[in-house]
Amino acid sequence: MALLQIHDPLKPKGHAVGIDLGTTHSLVASVFHGKPRCLEADVDHALLLPSVVHYAKDGSVVVGNRARALAAQHPTDTIVSVKRFMGKSLGDAETRKLGAYRFSGEAGLVRFEVAGGQPVTPIEVSAEILRALKRRAEAHFNGKVEQAVITVPAYFDDAQRQATRDAGRVAGLEVLRLLNEPTAAALAYGLDKGSQGTFAVYDLGGGTFDISILELVDGVFQVKSTGGDSALGGDDFDRALAGKVMETWGLLSPDAAGVQALLFEARRVKEALTDEPSVTFSALGRTLQVTRAEFESCIAPYVARTGTVCRRALRDAQVEAGALDGVILVGGSTRVPAVRAFVQELFGREPLGDIDPDQVVALGAAVQADLLTNDARQDEVLLLDVIPLSLGLETMGGVVEKVIPRNSTLPISRAQVFTTFQEGQNAMDIHVLQGERELVEDCRSLARFRLSGIPQLPPGAARVEVTFAVDADGILKVKAREQSTGVEQAVTVKPSHGLTDEEIETMLLDAIEHAEDDISARQLREQRVEATRVLHDARKQLVDNGDLLTAAEAEALKAACSVVEEAARGKDHLAIQAALKDLDAAGRPFAERIMDRSMGRALAGHRVEEF
Amino acid sequence: MGCWSCQAETHAAALCPGCGAVQPLVPGKSFFDVLGLAAVHALDPKALDARYRELSLKLHPDRVGPSDARARRHAVEQTALLNDAYRTLKDPAVRAFYLLKLQGVDLLQDSGGHHPGLPLEFLEEMMEAREGLDAVKRRRDVAAAQAMGAKVDARRRAGLDTAVAALEAKDTQAATRALLQVRYFQRFLEEVAAIEEEAL
Repeated sequence: MALLQIHDPLKPKGHAVGIDLGTTHSLVASVFHGKPRCLEADVDHALLLPSVVHYAKDGSVVVGNRARALAAQHPTDTIVSVKRFMGKSLGDAETRKLGAYRFSGEAGLVRFEVAGGQPVTPIEVSAEILRALKRRAEAHFNGKVEQAVITVPAYFDDAQRQATRDAGRVAGLEVLRLLNEPTAAALAYGLDKGSQGTFAVYDLGGGTFDISILELVDGVFQVKSTGGDSALGGDDFDRALAGKVMETWGLLSPDAAGVQALLFEARRVKEALTDEPSVTFSALGRTLQVTRAEFESCIAPYVARTGTVCRRALRDAQVEAGALDGVILVGGSTRVPAVRAFVQELFGREPLGDIDPDQVVALGAAVQADLLTNDARQDEVLLLDVIPLSLGLETMGGVVEKVIPRNSTLPISRAQVFTTFQEGQNAMDIHVLQGERELVEDCRSLARFRLSGIPQLPPGAARVEVTFAVDADGILKVKAREQSTGVEQAVTVKPSHGLTDEEIETMLLDAIEHAEDDISARQLREQRVEATRVLHDARKQLVDNGDLLTAAEAEALKAACSVVEEAARGKDHLAIQAALKDLDAAGRPFAERIMDRSMGRALAGHRVEEF
Repeated sequence: MGCWSCQAETHAAALCPGCGAVQPLVPGKSFFDVLGLAAVHALDPKALDARYRELSLKLHPDRVGPSDARARRHAVEQTALLNDAYRTLKDPAVRAFYLLKLQGVDLLQDSGGHHPGLPLEFLEEMMEAREGLDAVKRRRDVAAAQAMGAKVDARRRAGLDTAVAALEAKDTQAATRALLQVRYFQRFLEEVAAIEEEAL
């Protein structure tokens, strides 16, 4: 160990980590002496932190295994699989089916009503998970962790990516890169083995499925194609099995707690069936014997769905299944024997699985975090990632004109020239869309803006150049420029996950407080309660006994009350404490006089002898 | 032109020959220039891949230290251009369209409309073929669609060969005519691919 550390003013950032922010569980990893390793993520020393967040009545937040244990009794205050809600709105057809939660009011924005405070957004829930991982890593390093590479499914769209990035910010992390999960997995394998060739990464997690075709040659990792389904995973296996059990038992609509108990047991049975041919399903006071074959027939349609996505990815990459040099398995759901058999059949070779499929993504993220923060590793592998979905513009008749096709290598910038179609048209609406379909209504709307001040030329004469630029994270900037006048408009696409910048800002402030110390949050709550109590008393006394004070004294006391009130609106518990102390000092003579008066009143009518 | 970092003469290169710093974009470079290749259709795909990797390793923003904002900005611009160049030149058909653009006819941007110079018989023939494909699509007969696709693909290859020869002879008109036909064939094949996709 080095005894002296050289201070680098440009890098006061502490340690950089890789985070796999998963649907069912999350991990944090870092590179030690050139090797990535997962850190303990939960308070019970486990490497896997269940992605479960429980909001308690007293306003405290519990994350991980302890939260999962509370899910059955408090199904609506315990958010599981929050990743499925990232970047989604209540209007999205699937959203409400994802769990028995209480969603608050307005359409559009997803907010969970939970115990102990205001409704929370998926971004805030994810930030709690990230914050827990950050704390565990900081405890490990005994130092600050402020930079992270966070992984996302390759198939995440812009809104989902932006939501993930915002969650990182809210948790007080600088997000160095959003890395596609399959790419991360390949990175973990590639660096360990120094191999060359073309690989498929088959990633079946709790809630998402991804397939990527990658080529590693001469230290350059090139993603050839990606594909996936952002709503397909091991959770579906649990649901399918629970559904079959419900059917067998004739249960029509169990309550929220019943559903949680069934899903919890389904998960256990699924995992046990990996090693045993038959397992007893036991929930709600009943039991049922489930064989592996029965389970496999339940999940067969989901497994088959992954095959379609794989064939498309192979075609996009122009690679034959037989030409692959290896197939990498990622995600806990690839432990299911039926999934392994399916993959082997599909690609005609036995898949690689020598790195723990639960850890491999976090390990790859740690490698990338190390590459991005460590100038000394410049000569190592370079990762060329791709954009997962095509980007385009709305043109005449609600048709989407693609500007950047899917699977383009990042960063990329593409310009396309458009023209006006109406006599006297002096403005143009730019509508940015993401997706593979031809019609606007089948794609996801990312942004809309108007380029005005176009000279009034005959239709077809104006020339508006629209430039799409996507950076290495897959975040898009769009610029429109009329070529004869140079009129220009630009936007950084802020996908509509429903939060304004101010809201993010507020969450950030809250987050900073959280990060400081949970104790201070509690102290703040306590001081606020104390302030309310003292103010109530003081004002009551001013009304009841105000005549005991001179005008100046009353003013001074009122002023001290205002200071307390002001401080209680703020977030500094020490300021409230100080204001309360001042109020106490200002009110002391008053209190003495009140005491005297009440003594006097008490004494009046009594004879001295009685005392 | 001087390097922004060390003032050495860069001769419009992407990397300063003096200090290796990534330079701002210089307008007017063709995609062939970007990859350091001669502007001809015949190129070795393996050499193109190798050249692309070699340049990526030097120009990619991830290779620039995290602390140098200006170098990173230039690296993003240079890599975006490199990626566009590679994607364009890698596909033999797109490469031909790009060479035609260098000769002054931009069919890459032009998203359709009628073009003079295509014989009426060709348009009629394509129209009929399309109708045939639509019928096959309604029947969900993937095998028939693939058979039609194979025939059209053969004509697409032949059309591309004609275009490449015309491009080399600098016969821009003949190259345009051939590539317009190629584009019709491509659209037909996209339709076939969509039918296959539905059957996946």
